[in-house]
Amino acid sequence: MTFGNNMKEALFSLKTSRWRSMLTVLGIIIGVASVVTIVSIGEGVRKQVEGQINILGSDTITVRPGKSVTRNSEGKIIDVNLLASQSNGSFSNNDYEVISKSKNVLVSVPFSKISAVAKTDEREFLDGNVVATTSELPKVLKQKVLYGEFFDDKNPNKNIAILGKKVAQELFNENVPIGKSLQIRGEQFIVGGIMDNYANNPLSPSTDYNRTIFIPYETGKKISGGQTQIYQVLVVPEAIGLTDEVAKNITINLQNAHGNQEDFTVLKKEDTLAVTNGILKLLTSLIAGLAGISLIVGGIGIMNIMLLSVTERTREIGVRKAVGATNRQILNQFLTEAAILSLAGGFLGIIVSLVVDYAIALFTDIVPAITFPIMGIAMVLALAVGVFFGITPALKAASKDPIDALRYE
Amino acid sequence: MSLIELKEVSKLYGFGDATVVALDEINISVSKGEFVAVMGPSGSGKSTLMNLIGLLDRPTHGSFSLNDRSVERLRTNQRAKVRRDTIGFVFQSFNLLPKLTVLENVALPLVYKGITQTRRLKQAGAMLERVGLSDREQFYPKQLSGGQAQRVAIARALVNNPHIIIADEPTGNLDSQSSRLVMELLADIHKSGGTILMVTHNPELTRYATRVVFMHDGDIIGDEQSALGQVPKLLKKTMYSLSRFSLEDDLAGVSVLMKTFPDKIEKQKARKKIQPKKRATKKRTAKK
Repeated sequence: MTFGNNMKEALFSLKTSRWRSMLTVLGIIIGVASVVTIVSIGEGVRKQVEGQINILGSDTITVRPGKSVTRNSEGKIIDVNLLASQSNGSFSNNDYEVISKSKNVLVSVPFSKISAVAKTDEREFLDGNVVATTSELPKVLKQKVLYGEFFDDKNPNKNIAILGKKVAQELFNENVPIGKSLQIRGEQFIVGGIMDNYANNPLSPSTDYNRTIFIPYETGKKISGGQTQIYQVLVVPEAIGLTDEVAKNITINLQNAHGNQEDFTVLKKEDTLAVTNGILKLLTSLIAGLAGISLIVGGIGIMNIMLLSVTERTREIGVRKAVGATNRQILNQFLTEAAILSLAGGFLGIIVSLVVDYAIALFTDIVPAITFPIMGIAMVLALAVGVFFGITPALKAASKDPIDALRYE
Repeated sequence: MSLIELKEVSKLYGFGDATVVALDEINISVSKGEFVAVMGPSGSGKSTLMNLIGLLDRPTHGSFSLNDRSVERLRTNQRAKVRRDTIGFVFQSFNLLPKLTVLENVALPLVYKGITQTRRLKQAGAMLERVGLSDREQFYPKQLSGGQAQRVAIARALVNNPHIIIADEPTGNLDSQSSRLVMELLADIHKSGGTILMVTHNPELTRYATRVVFMHDGDIIGDEQSALGQVPKLLKKTMYSLSRFSLEDDLAGVSVLMKTFPDKIEKQKARKKIQPKKRATKKRTAKK
């Protein structure tokens, strides 16, 4: 019996018990949809984070407070300390000086968080950050100032604010509010420029530069009473080949300043990628594994229905054997049925997850990415579930004695 | 040259004390073109014999050759293939698949031969025409009368051009009018050279047969050639001696045949009693 025949027979018998087939398929749909959705969310977030990291130049070094990674003797990251990477420690101005004065450092840009609420006469901007930084920021971030220009060093105490795109829209209700004023901690600031749209990621809303107001570093220090809370320093070495050396220098210098303790993290760009990818992969595979359980439940549904179907069709199996079907042909027939059920479930599951992903992209900041490899793996997974759970009923059908089967009422 | 050749074929069911001898060292050979009617009371082993010849079952011992090819030791899949190519079954309860149309039912055996759908349906259509049901091609089995369903079943049995048609009480579920149609169809197949083995309880139907075999308790106790349209002598003896068959006999499970051939049955019983040891050793060697 050819494969095409098998398909036709299987489709036909599934069609005749439509409700039952649909409910069975539903189990697989839910399983596949949940796995695919979760993996695609993970993949989407990974891409977003990667995009965010990519706005840094390839030689940029990130220095953060808190020891968030563990390295082996060769400097390779072997462990990520999740808690430390989310901790709220900060560098002092002194630390920043140490970093910026390390050997071969061309530019170092501090990111100092000011706990303040920006407001105009009409509105307040609550859903974002105020970051004090230096005029060199545009050199480090591959991000243009869309309108106006970034503040310069001529007068470091100037009250100038550079707004992220969403800040401009939400605070002033217009795209280019250059020259307008806003208040931060009671001080008047003039809008000097608007940043270009920034590829943010939903995992770390604190680094969404679309929702950030940049003010000059010295001004920030002044309005927060001389204190700084530097959560990150971006460093560019003098030459591209010097990245490793500069990273080492900064590590040594900071260690000295901190009483020989490594309570900070120096990350090269590829480290940052590796760290975020590592975290995301772990999370994604964990949740996808949980979702996979529903796929197994779906598989058990297929097995259940196929066993029932084999019993109900005992006489049919007897007739088919009497007219010359071999055991293998009977086996193939039932296995094809199980495979079709699971593949249909896989296909519909992917469609469901496409819809769900679309909704997620529409209503949240997450942009899930269903790639062809994900879809392919989902189909293969569904097929594997179908064959795995279909083989027992199919063997049962194939091994039926034709005489008993023909006598079955 | 005989088409079917059974030598000392036995079939046992169960183990130990519960062993049932369904067939007891049967010898029979059927040539091509014969129409054999097999008669006997329930439990006499008719169906077991048909299942063996139809390769649905394997003999416990003895040799069985089909078309001069020894088939008693074939494996399941090989038997399925021989069945597919040489045997057509007609069952008492038709056994059409309810979800398939009449045409698809007839084409079913061809599916397992790997014939393309177009050719399958064409051949099936031709067979339906032969049984006079061309206008029912797209019907479903439940939309047919019993007689029509059995004719469809016969078309299905014929579609592979089998060497043997095995019909197990083909008219058992039919009224006399439909029975006549079905029997005439079988007679027609026989006339055009087909070999038919038919189990029946109805003595009238032996008129269509060229040979009648009587079975009792797993033995063949009578085997008679008969002219077409004639009821064989042996059978006549039983048929027209029905007066000897009383209600008490029926309740006691005594068959007409037992009363007709009491001497034969007694002889066989005696034979079994005398030679139990010898038979046992023979069986063991045969098994090896």
